[in-house]
Order: sequence, then structure tokens, then C-alpha cells
Amino acid sequence: MDSTTSSGGGGGGGGGGFAFPPHYSFPPFFTLQPALTTRASQLHSWSQLIQAYCRHRRLFALSLVDAVDTDLFCNAALGRRLSLRDAREVIAWMCGKEGGERAEWIGAGNAAKGKEGAEARAACWVFWRRPEEWAGVIEGWVDATGQKNTVLTLYELLESDATKSQEFHGMDPELLKRSLQVLVKRGKAQVFGSEDSLGVKFF
Amino acid sequence: MASNRRGVGLSAFSRNTLAQSQYASHGNQLRTAHAQSLRTQLAVFQSLLHNFSVTHAKAIRSDPVFRAEFARMCNAIGVDPLLASSHGRKDEEGGGSFWSQMLGSSVNDFYFELAVRVVEVCRVTRAENGGMIAVKEVVRRVQKGRGVGGGMEVSEDDVLRAVSSLKPLGSGFAITKLGAKSMIRSVPKELNPDQATVLEAIQVLGYVSVSMLQLNLRWDRARAVAVIDDLMADSLVWVDAQATPEKEYWSPTFIQDNSGASG
Repeated sequence: MDSTTSSGGGGGGGGGGFAFPPHYSFPPFFTLQPALTTRASQLHSWSQLIQAYCRHRRLFALSLVDAVDTDLFCNAALGRRLSLRDAREVIAWMCGKEGGERAEWIGAGNAAKGKEGAEARAACWVFWRRPEEWAGVIEGWVDATGQKNTVLTLYELLESDATKSQEFHGMDPELLKRSLQVLVKRGKAQVFGSEDSLGVKFF
Repeated sequence: MASNRRGVGLSAFSRNTLAQSQYASHGNQLRTAHAQSLRTQLAVFQSLLHNFSVTHAKAIRSDPVFRAEFARMCNAIGVDPLLASSHGRKDEEGGGSFWSQMLGSSVNDFYFELAVRVVEVCRVTRAENGGMIAVKEVVRRVQKGRGVGGGMEVSEDDVLRAVSSLKPLGSGFAITKLGAKSMIRSVPKELNPDQATVLEAIQVLGYVSVSMLQLNLRWDRARAVAVIDDLMADSLVWVDAQATPEKEYWSPTFIQDNSGASG
């Protein structure tokens, strides 16, 4: 789970400094296994890989149609790739309890919850931190920097120099809003303002 | 010439019994003397071994090569460390085994500690490899450890010893040979000859396909397919459906760090 800072580099080749796990050079890893226990372990390994990869690249959401052509799902050196259908299955597993709810289909939350058409499963969040975990991180930072009872804009949180060293610097605004909502529910923050210039006050 | 003198008359009978009992008592004397000297020798040896293990306890614990040599020496003189140590656990209060008396149980503990790690590694990877893992891989994982500073300096020899120390538990941990590789099998399942053959072929070739089995082993198709399906159901092989021209079957024991650098 910890971020892989590959000093050696060139672990998987072409990973942009990302050290792929050993599974990545195992050809059958790119075929979902028919045996149930094997598949469960395989899905777990995929989930780990996707989370580590997204964390390394600071990706917060994936568009599956595009992602299946990237080196995450496609090992060019090996000539193997995870098909779109199988990638959907991996994400679906990550969405479930079994996968620790480490992913979520985008747009599936509202109306399309019932029907699981391909339309609704085009893109997903990858929660290498869940919104509750992000809420904790942000709260910790506010605490540590003594900014309780001050008003910050969302833009400041995401883009200012003050947060440059923080993991949530540059994160997806949509995800940030969700994480802040968690704090709002806990009575630790208040969000106000209009769509474009949202501000937040921490207690 | 005294022994040649034959007694005559009835008294010869009693003389005979007398001589026999004398021989017997003398034999007894010799035997006890012999046993006595052996006991002394053993005691001397024990104390020497004890001294040795005490002075070198640190080296025994920390240096896998030294430890292996030490274990080999004990084996050569007929001291089975594992048999002894497994008994030592049972009646620790009553002085423990010869071995744990000798070594103050520190070497003992080392192997038990290691055995626990080995069991952990086997359990964690069981879903992935069907309970069959290469000894080398176990060594790598144990050395890597779980957390900061959690690694242990161990050799393959140590792992093999640790696995045999699990035998009294009857938990089905065993060492099997697959081709040239030593594997630890952590599920109590016997491979049938066909399955063993296929796994061996995979160790040598890297992977197999149905037609490779047909060609090389002269099996008919149904047999090859059945064996492979069995192995797949047990997670002992993984299928690569994207291989051309036909599906290939790989052993998950090949999933390992080949980046060269230590993790």
C-alpha cells in the first residue's frame, strides 16, 4: 500500500518510474482465471496494482475505454492485455465489499444504480484513499497548520503553494467536495458559496 | 594349560557352572566399565558441545552458513535437532530435550520462529498458488519480512529444517521435489502421477499446452485436458488464454521478483 518510490527504476519498463509488481510479468495474470479461489486472489492483486499505479500517477479516476490501452492494463513487452470486459470485472470487484470498496462507477450513483448497462460503467473512481480517508488527511493538515476557523477556498486547498507538499494537492475537485462532505457530516467543516467559488471553513 | 585340564568325576559338573558364572560376572564387569567410559566420553562431549553452542550462540543465530554447518555436524554425530526440539516443547518443564539442554533452546526457538514465518507465507499465498510454493520464494519472502526490521537472515537449509519441525503437528506441511526445485506443499493433498508429471514439465519448460502434453507424453487429448482442469481447480496452474496458437498453462510459482534488486 505504501507508495513505491523506485530508486532503481526500470522495474517493469515503460512505467514512467512505476515499479510494476511481479505479477505484471506473468502472462496468465492478464486472463481472468476460471477457478474461483484463484480468481479471488488475482482480483486482489489487480486491485493492489491499480491502486498503486493510480497513486503513483496521481490519478483519481479512470476512463476504462482509454485505460485499457495504457501500460496499466496492457503489457506491451509481454504482448498481453486485460480486455475491457475483464477490466470492468476487476473494477466491479473493487467496488464491492470484497474489494474493500476501493472503486466506484462514476454516474452509477444516481439513476443508473439499478441497470448496469455498459453506458454507466465507462469510468470509475479509484479510491487509493476513500473519501473518509481523504477527510482525515485534510483534517490532519488543517489541524497541523492551525487553520481552524479560517476560510479557505477549494482552489486554495487544491492549487496553492501551501498544500504543495500534501497528497491532496491537485486532487480531483469532485472527490475533494465529497471528502469535505464527510467532514461536514461530522460537524467539522462547513462548505458555502456558489458552484464556482466554493469556500470551506473548518472547526 | 589350565583350561585344557578336563575334570573327571561328578565334581566336573559343579566346576563347569562355577566357571560359567565367573565368566558371566566378568563380562558384566567389562560391560559396565565400557558403559562408564562411554558415559564419561558423552558427558565430556556434551559439555564441549554446550560450551561451543554458548560461545557461538550469536553466530549460530545470525549466520545461516555457520548454522547449517553446525546442524550438519550434529546430524553426523547422531543428534537429530528437530526430533529433539519437538520433544523439548512438550516437556519443557522437565529439563527439556537433549538438544534444548545443550543449546539453551535459543537455536530451538530460532527454528520455531522461522516455522511460524513459513506457515504465514504459505497461508498468504495459498489462494494464488494452490498451496505449492518454491522454497527459494519462501526464503525470499521471509528475508524481506513483514515490516521494518522484520526480516530474518535464513538459508534454504533453515527453511527445510523448520518445515520438518512442523511434522509433529500433522498439519500437512511437506517438502516435495518438482523437477530440480524443492517445493513446500501446505495443503494435505497428494498429487497423482499425471499431475506431478505436468507440474514437473512446467518447471522445466515454463509453461505447457494441451498439444505439448499430447505430443511429448503421448497422452490423448481428454487425459491432458482432464489433468490440466484438475490442476487449475486447485490453483496449481494459471491459464493464459491470450497465448497463440492455443492456451498456455503456467505455474504461479513463476510469479516472483525477477527485477534482481532486493525488495
